Amino acid sequence: MIKKVYFFVFVISFQLSLGQEIEFGKVTKEELLEDVYAPDKSANAAILFQQQKTYFNSTYGANELITEIHKRIKIYNGDGFDYATEVINLFRAGSSAEVARKIKAYTFNIENGKVKKTELEKDQIFKSKLSYNYNQVKLTMPNVKEGSVIDIKYQKRSPFIWSIDEFVFQYDIPIKKLEAEIRTPKGFRFNTTNKGHITFFPKRSTKTDNRLGMQVVINKYFLNNVPALKEESYVDNINNYRAGVMFELVSVEFPGYFKSYSQTWKDVAKTIGSSDDYKNQLDKTNSFDDELDDLISGKTDQVEKMKVIFKYIKDNLKWNGIDGKYFFNGIRKTLKEKKGNVADINLTLVAMLRYAGIDSNPVILSTKDNVIPFFPTVDRLNYVIAYAVINEKKYFLDATEEFSDINLLPVKDYNWKGIYIDNNKLIWKQIDISSPEQAVAQYSINANLNEDGEINGKLSARYTKHNALEFRKEYKDQDEESFIASKEKSLDNIEISNYTVKNTDSYEGFVAESFEYYQENGADFVDGKIYIQPLSFLSLEENPFKLEERKFPVDFGYPFAKKYMVSIAFPEGYTVESTPEPVRLKIPNDLGELKYIPRVTEKNIQLIFTFDIKKPRIMTDNYLFLKQFFNQMIIKCKEQIVLTKA
Amino acid sequence: MVLKPIVNIMLLLATLTAFSQDDLYSSLTIPDDLKKGANAVVRLNEMHVVIESQNKILISLDRVVTVFNEKGNQHLQAGVGYDNHIKVKKIEAVIFDENGEVLKKKKKRDFIDYSAVDGGTLYSDSRVLFLGYTPINYPYTVKFSYEVESVNTAAIPTWRPINSYFLSVEKDSFILNDQANLGLRSKEISFDEFQVKKSTSSNTLSYTISNVPPIKPEDLSPSLNSITPYAMVAVEKFHFNGVDGHAKNWNEFGNWIRNSLLKGRNEVTEKTKQQILDLVKGIDNPIEKAKKVYEFVQNNTRYISVQVGIGGVQPIAALEVDNLKYGDCKGLTNYTQSLLSIAGVKSYYTVVEAGKEIIDFDTDFASLEQGNHIILGIPNNDEMIWLDCTSQIHPFGFIGDFTDDRKVLVIKQDYSEILKTINYPDSINYQFTKADIKLSVDGSINSEVTIKTKGVQYDNRFYIERKSKKDIDEYYKEYWGNVNNLEINDYSFENDKEDVEFTEKIKSRAQNYGSINGDRLIFAPNAFNKNSFIPNRYRNRKLPVEIQRGYLDEDSFSYTIPNEYVIESLPENVSIKNKFGEYFIEFIQDGNKILYNRKLKILKGKYPKLEYDLYRNFRKKISKMDNYKIILKKL
Repeated sequence: MIKKVYFFVFVISFQLSLGQEIEFGKVTKEELLEDVYAPDKSANAAILFQQQKTYFNSTYGANELITEIHKRIKIYNGDGFDYATEVINLFRAGSSAEVARKIKAYTFNIENGKVKKTELEKDQIFKSKLSYNYNQVKLTMPNVKEGSVIDIKYQKRSPFIWSIDEFVFQYDIPIKKLEAEIRTPKGFRFNTTNKGHITFFPKRSTKTDNRLGMQVVINKYFLNNVPALKEESYVDNINNYRAGVMFELVSVEFPGYFKSYSQTWKDVAKTIGSSDDYKNQLDKTNSFDDELDDLISGKTDQVEKMKVIFKYIKDNLKWNGIDGKYFFNGIRKTLKEKKGNVADINLTLVAMLRYAGIDSNPVILSTKDNVIPFFPTVDRLNYVIAYAVINEKKYFLDATEEFSDINLLPVKDYNWKGIYIDNNKLIWKQIDISSPEQAVAQYSINANLNEDGEINGKLSARYTKHNALEFRKEYKDQDEESFIASKEKSLDNIEISNYTVKNTDSYEGFVAESFEYYQENGADFVDGKIYIQPLSFLSLEENPFKLEERKFPVDFGYPFAKKYMVSIAFPEGYTVESTPEPVRLKIPNDLGELKYIPRVTEKNIQLIFTFDIKKPRIMTDNYLFLKQFFNQMIIKCKEQIVLTKA
Repeated sequence: MVLKPIVNIMLLLATLTAFSQDDLYSSLTIPDDLKKGANAVVRLNEMHVVIESQNKILISLDRVVTVFNEKGNQHLQAGVGYDNHIKVKKIEAVIFDENGEVLKKKKKRDFIDYSAVDGGTLYSDSRVLFLGYTPINYPYTVKFSYEVESVNTAAIPTWRPINSYFLSVEKDSFILNDQANLGLRSKEISFDEFQVKKSTSSNTLSYTISNVPPIKPEDLSPSLNSITPYAMVAVEKFHFNGVDGHAKNWNEFGNWIRNSLLKGRNEVTEKTKQQILDLVKGIDNPIEKAKKVYEFVQNNTRYISVQVGIGGVQPIAALEVDNLKYGDCKGLTNYTQSLLSIAGVKSYYTVVEAGKEIIDFDTDFASLEQGNHIILGIPNNDEMIWLDCTSQIHPFGFIGDFTDDRKVLVIKQDYSEILKTINYPDSINYQFTKADIKLSVDGSINSEVTIKTKGVQYDNRFYIERKSKKDIDEYYKEYWGNVNNLEINDYSFENDKEDVEFTEKIKSRAQNYGSINGDRLIFAPNAFNKNSFIPNRYRNRKLPVEIQRGYLDEDSFSYTIPNEYVIESLPENVSIKNKFGEYFIEFIQDGNKILYNRKLKILKGKYPKLEYDLYRNFRKKISKMDNYKIILKKL
């Protein structure tokens, strides 16, 4: 391993010393004549060169974080034209705003054997207010053809000097050569964390910056031939796998001054815990009304109290769709307006649980859509849930989602770990969030096959945990008639009658569903024989995993199992001719299990079928097992029982 | 007339209620028949339009909507668009709870202001002021009102009171007063079926509709817009973003576009002019010349949309396209037209309502609201060749299903008129799939498949040749999702742009395609064009049936079966022909080979709602028969 690293560094520096300087506005004929990107011929466009320099600047007492960008993009064909458009998003908060300056860009083409240069005019640069906290600058290059090379450079100047944007080193088109540099004053210590699948290391040095009049630390990154990043299905968040560097301020130190931010997760927890929201607000109870007292009065069991408070919050407070670990409204206003962001709702929950005497604290996390926090960070945590311990049992609660329950969080919450903040007991640490329990869908079928090949039957199903949550959402999303119609369609167009469903309004317990059905083509009658697929319309027909190999882990969100019990009575006078082989199969490391047990009695065809995935995430080294596992399920679904007329 | 039955039901359900304004804010007062099946109810939508002069129009709206659930939030429509020519003078909203108690008041500064640029546009000066509100309980009611002042008398809003499914309308009215007497024109459609009250004079209009229960979407129905009432309104003397105009019919309207928007925008650089002349040198046939010019445009430009001011309707000058090498539909069409005229080829700038759904221009009502795209028509004897100048990849003269078969405004030098674009008939939208398939003892298949597509089916497929290997691999695995375990071993494409025909050749393998059951090997002969589409079942179908485009698929698959097996049973041959189309399959046994021939033709057509079940049954049969199995038995 170590050897490999040295070798890598060696290669990089070797290339460096040979590599020629790439100058803005000077493009070689070779670059223009190149008609395909050799390492990846499917690329419609490629970044030939990207250079980024980020540093601090101080003029007239105003501090700025400046990022200089130079990008050289090659367009190989018409499908790459989109990369001739550059979009720069600029953050804005109150009266402070990032700005894009010194935008300069050229398109280069070969015309009659000569290099032709077309400049982007100022009036082709469009600025707009995108939303309340973003401005946007957009431009598209003139005279772009297949084969064009584009050179773009600009400066992004930011007054938000403590939040350095992630350096992005990978896009959906390949990068040929990339150089990135960040200079930070020596007193400001930034934690830097690499992410993605590509190995790279910064070259680190220090020097005196004359403009700032202080020592700066320089980190330089050099990457070559970064492949394009392509989406796959069942990926938690593709950005977790995108190459890049994240920065987080850990301490500020000058002679006579020291302030530490977040060097460890404990520091992170402390930093958040010492904010006013967490330090002082969670024990303020004067805005709670009598209704709460009525709810908990007389109850002695803490679990019961927790349940009524959870329900009270869910019934009364509405999430406004905005994430956040700090209050948007604060408890008082949240209760008055009956809505708020994630922190408003879940911290109010914490406060009420505490008020009821329950040992409850907030747990901060980053949701799946917000990437995994690979290193101790305050900024990249976007969410907070409530946590309670009663009789040493742990409870995680998120009251923002209509159908979530205690220890049944929205899937997005199950992203790595959480940060536990207990100011009272002086405990600040990283903790595990209990992984979701297995969701089980259980189907039982009792049916009759007649001589015309039609089946009349009854299906009862039960859904637990996240299956129940999803069922409830889907059911609520449409009227029952449409719900049944789409069910019929997804179940091979059986005709459903006497549909009943229980417990869809609640968020607790399981959902029970039952209906009668008529199936026109229940079995094939051919030459005195009956051919029947016992699982029929519940069969899995398509493998969700089609790729031969996968780059990223499969994320199902939660473990799940499907269990089927089928019994179909067949017409008199038939006996069994052949029955599919029973099968029992496992994915290595007990990740999954499949059981298929058919049986034919005098009157009935019976099947017990279980399909069990025991982990929410399957790593790439088990991908082929997983694919094969689904494949076996499909094969078994297709197999037929053959009956013959006696 | 097809509509009658629905309307009768609606009339039965509708009840007349008198109410005061205040009643509207409480959701308790809503009649039951408006609640059932609705996500929201428009309690009141009252629009007043006052035309003060040729370039001053005032539009005000009072809208009260009660929302029953999360899905109903989209019907609030509490927002208004504006730009440099449209000023929002007032905008406010009040939110009420179920009982009509005020929950919140919103002033102009509380509205969210954002850019109304869609994904395909680089920049537009259009903006929107929108109410951002998170409801805490359902139902709730929002009263929303605005006043807007605009110079655009050419853009009087179209009145369309029923514009969404699952939305009922308690009362919606539109009142217009043309104080400037600019020559008011209007056209009302589907008013009688919905009992719209109407009163008009030479310079005023008033429409009212009340108590319309919600409509539910159904598969294969005509679009909502084509069956619900609407009114188009225009004035003869008008103004748009700085340009005056005068028109009472399409010819005059075409003249305005030609003279006020297009004129003087057809210059290109001397260099380009010379290039075009060189390109067509020695060619006499105007169509051959046009092909060269179209290819030149396709190779030298790309589509980028920038909409500023009058730029929403006026093309950027050809000279600018020449320099930037990009433009939107207007700019690229005007550019192509300019180049064609240099080459001596006549062509017509043509306004069309583009999209997969066919929407016609109204033959006898001219207005700026109609149309969202520009194409070019080139006269060729008695017919017209159509070009979409925004595509870099479509064959010359092929517009696919984006602008086919619909009435469009063709702007000519002498006489502008409404014409119909090309129709691709059912049998032109053709696909032929041929396959040689070797079945092995273990049930796996090795196949060589050739697919040829034409017409709209060509349009659906030819783009795949430009995709990466990984995407193509995935494409076929999705397309043949019925073949489990498919591996794509090799593929090649041929795109014949001259005849507009796309050929795909694919070599593939699939393990366990056939299923082994004891001594038997069972497989579905339709491996490569299985059609399992069955539209939804409705216990009570309400809307008529429309199939906008037909198609024809033919298949010929030859199976070689392993020597260890004999055929135990072949499905029966089938031939069905009815008003919806044709379905035919046959099985021919020839030694150890089985030939499977199939034909599926679906016709374009409109049918009354009672025939929906017949069509559904036809599709059910097809789906069943496409799933037929062949049974082999071990020797």
